[in-house]
Amino acid sequence: MAVLKKLALLAAAVLLASCGVRGKSQESVVRRRLDGEPKTLNPILTTTDSEQVVLALLERNLLDYDEKLNLVPGLAEEVAASPDHLTYTIRLQKDARWEDGTPVTSRDVVFTLTTLLDPKTPALTRRALFDGFVKAEAVDARTARVVFSTASAGRPDAFNLPLLSAVAWAGGDVATHPRNRSPVANGPYRLGSWEAGRTLTLVRNTQYFGEKAAPEQVIFRVVPETAPAFAALQSSELDEMRLTYAQKKELDARAGAAGAPRVVTFDELSYSYLGWNNRLPIFADRRARRALTMLVDRESIDRNLFGGLAKVANGPLPPAHWAWDASLAPWPYDPKAAEALLDEAGFRKGPDGVRRKGNVRFAFTLSLGMGSDVQRQLVELAQQSFRKAGIEMSIQPLEWAAFASKMDAGECDAWAAALNLDPNPDLAVSWHSAQTPPAGLNSAFYRNSEVDALLDRLKTAFDREETRTLLARVQALIHEDEPVTFLNVPLTKWGLSSRLTNVKTSPIGLFMFWPGAAGWRTGASTRPIS
Amino acid sequence: MIRFAVNRAVSAALTLLGVLALVFGLVAAAPGDAAALAARAAGNRAAAVSPEALAAFRHLYGLDRPLAERFVTWVWRAARLDFGRSLVDGQPVSLRVARALPATFALNGAALLLACLIGVPLGIAAARRPGGRLDRISGFVCDAFFATPTFVLGLVLLLVFSGWLRVTPLFADTESGVRGFLLPVATLSLTSLALVARFVRVCVAAALADPAALAGRARGERPSEEVRRALRRSAASFAAMGAVLVPSVVSGSILVERVFSLPGAGGLLAEAVFARDLPTVLALTWCSAIVVVAASLAADLVAAALDPRVAREIEAAVPGVAA
Repeated sequence: MAVLKKLALLAAAVLLASCGVRGKSQESVVRRRLDGEPKTLNPILTTTDSEQVVLALLERNLLDYDEKLNLVPGLAEEVAASPDHLTYTIRLQKDARWEDGTPVTSRDVVFTLTTLLDPKTPALTRRALFDGFVKAEAVDARTARVVFSTASAGRPDAFNLPLLSAVAWAGGDVATHPRNRSPVANGPYRLGSWEAGRTLTLVRNTQYFGEKAAPEQVIFRVVPETAPAFAALQSSELDEMRLTYAQKKELDARAGAAGAPRVVTFDELSYSYLGWNNRLPIFADRRARRALTMLVDRESIDRNLFGGLAKVANGPLPPAHWAWDASLAPWPYDPKAAEALLDEAGFRKGPDGVRRKGNVRFAFTLSLGMGSDVQRQLVELAQQSFRKAGIEMSIQPLEWAAFASKMDAGECDAWAAALNLDPNPDLAVSWHSAQTPPAGLNSAFYRNSEVDALLDRLKTAFDREETRTLLARVQALIHEDEPVTFLNVPLTKWGLSSRLTNVKTSPIGLFMFWPGAAGWRTGASTRPIS
Repeated sequence: MIRFAVNRAVSAALTLLGVLALVFGLVAAAPGDAAALAARAAGNRAAAVSPEALAAFRHLYGLDRPLAERFVTWVWRAARLDFGRSLVDGQPVSLRVARALPATFALNGAALLLACLIGVPLGIAAARRPGGRLDRISGFVCDAFFATPTFVLGLVLLLVFSGWLRVTPLFADTESGVRGFLLPVATLSLTSLALVARFVRVCVAAALADPAALAGRARGERPSEEVRRALRRSAASFAAMGAVLVPSVVSGSILVERVFSLPGAGGLLAEAVFARDLPTVLALTWCSAIVVVAASLAADLVAAALDPRVAREIEAAVPGVAA
């Protein structure tokens, strides 16, 4: 018995001692969470957020977005458009260097664009921005010229483009190149190590041409589940993570306690919606679609499901977008008026309590991807409201990939989803009648010739005020037509270690603008002499 | 016995091929195209994806070829341990699998060992006094663990021991060494423990109630001798239990790996299924099917070696196996 006691004491001592070692923090290190492992660090092949947030510290773009989403110099000190907007001249920063000390040159620009636009390169997310590309050529070591056959107002956003080193990526298949897991950096950090499935360690890049980052290291840890990540945030093993509403409430309750993480909330370019397939007879009449929106108590949903941390959406642009039209009042929650609209549209209650117009019953299936409890609750609340108004909606939860595939193919009667927008989104992708599946993402099969004409004009609207005017009209028309029910714009909630300072937010989050996380400081950060 | 072993091995190989064909068909038939899903991975972005880029992606990974051709090519290559490249990151699948398997093998092996080390003595003790205090308490505790979803159990253990008491690390990384495996192993073994303990209890209790055991007792055999004989009589059943336990533990480890951020084969499989990464799904199925089929084969061989009547019964029950 005595031996057992001694063994137990020894085991306890070993555990406590090891915990002490574990708990010791390295103050010039920022520990961040990835909810999935990056698949590649090839900047032109990335698709996931996990890849992009790592690359945001490794590679500067030719032009970067600032926190207000203006394009500002990055690797390029200037990207100048010709008067006809067909030729862009890129002038690189004089001191821009790769981590091995070699300069970033126009050859890298040409190599990147040629690789990106090679038909054999599976670059899924960036190529569409270079529609009409003719050629890229080096003028001198620091200057490159890119020529297009068509002018596009959205073209400058294409130059929010990271580069591949022509030397490092030369030879071999770009999709399977070994450099995809050991990229050559030109940003404030370089890749120190990558422990597959666990951590990526970034260390300060001594060759970086700009202001040096304050923390010496950034350690990204792959933590797929939110509960362990939250425990790690609270025990200072992680410095940041996206929060759920419940987690935010828990941190709010600890606000002010020594060392407790703090919460930041901000608007992002996203909104959630209920999609209606406008080709179906029940959704073809805009009075019926408006009625559906007016049957959903979005303010109550925002209060009860989002704790007041959401706004009612009024159209295809969220409030964080510079051209959002605040004057458009969202359709009100008004079941009586909604029922009157349904009557007016010819959908009258039948003997079974379900509305019908001729032989068409107002009954449909709404699909949604599994995984979000809030979305599921929201849809169930809508289902109850619809039922009271004589509309029969069944809910079909689908595995996410199956759901996305069905939605993108335009095969859903109705669906619940959320949409994230780019800084200068091309609304044509979602609302132009030429962009119905399989050509584009207009899964609602929305058609309005005036909207089409405006969206076409927007492609060549180079003046910001003209763009604002056109976008205001597009928003108004889509608001009137209500092709989908625009639900709400939830605030993004982020938990941050109290030792982090100089954290800024933007409508595209905390990381994808400049300087983003590269500007963070920790309590003990030391800024090196550059 | 040799003929029996050869027949079972042939049957196992056919089972393996059947499982692979089934999984190939199911994943290929599931809605969702790997290229479109990869493009969607940027988080529901409403951005255009170039059709040429999608076509390049499909061509690169042979997704534009007929299904049957793809399957035959895959089997031919897999026979030479070439599993192709992952549709997710373009890396050789064998490399991704080789990176993930050690953690999974360590986790599953340790969990099985622990479950047996605790479950077998517990089951024997409970069987010796059916209805006694130990039997009732262990039955209740084991049932509770068995009924608790692995995911929930893991999360509770993690939040209590790592989040609250802070005696174990939150993440199983190389820094934390063996300590990082304590909770994942405990989670997986606790859910298997119930199966082992209850199974052993039933087998030993039945063996102790056997007329042969009664006769032994009448001859004045010591209790330990009785248990030893009972265990020997139940050996074939234990082997069968092992065959059942292995797939159950393997499937449970998928969730455990996710909760404890362990980069193992379970997490890789889940990711591959969601991304419709067929080469990775098939390679992992190949590995797990081999483990499961091998466990089943070993169980049959052990049972047959212990009792030749078992071999005859199996041969009679599975016509394909009979020579």
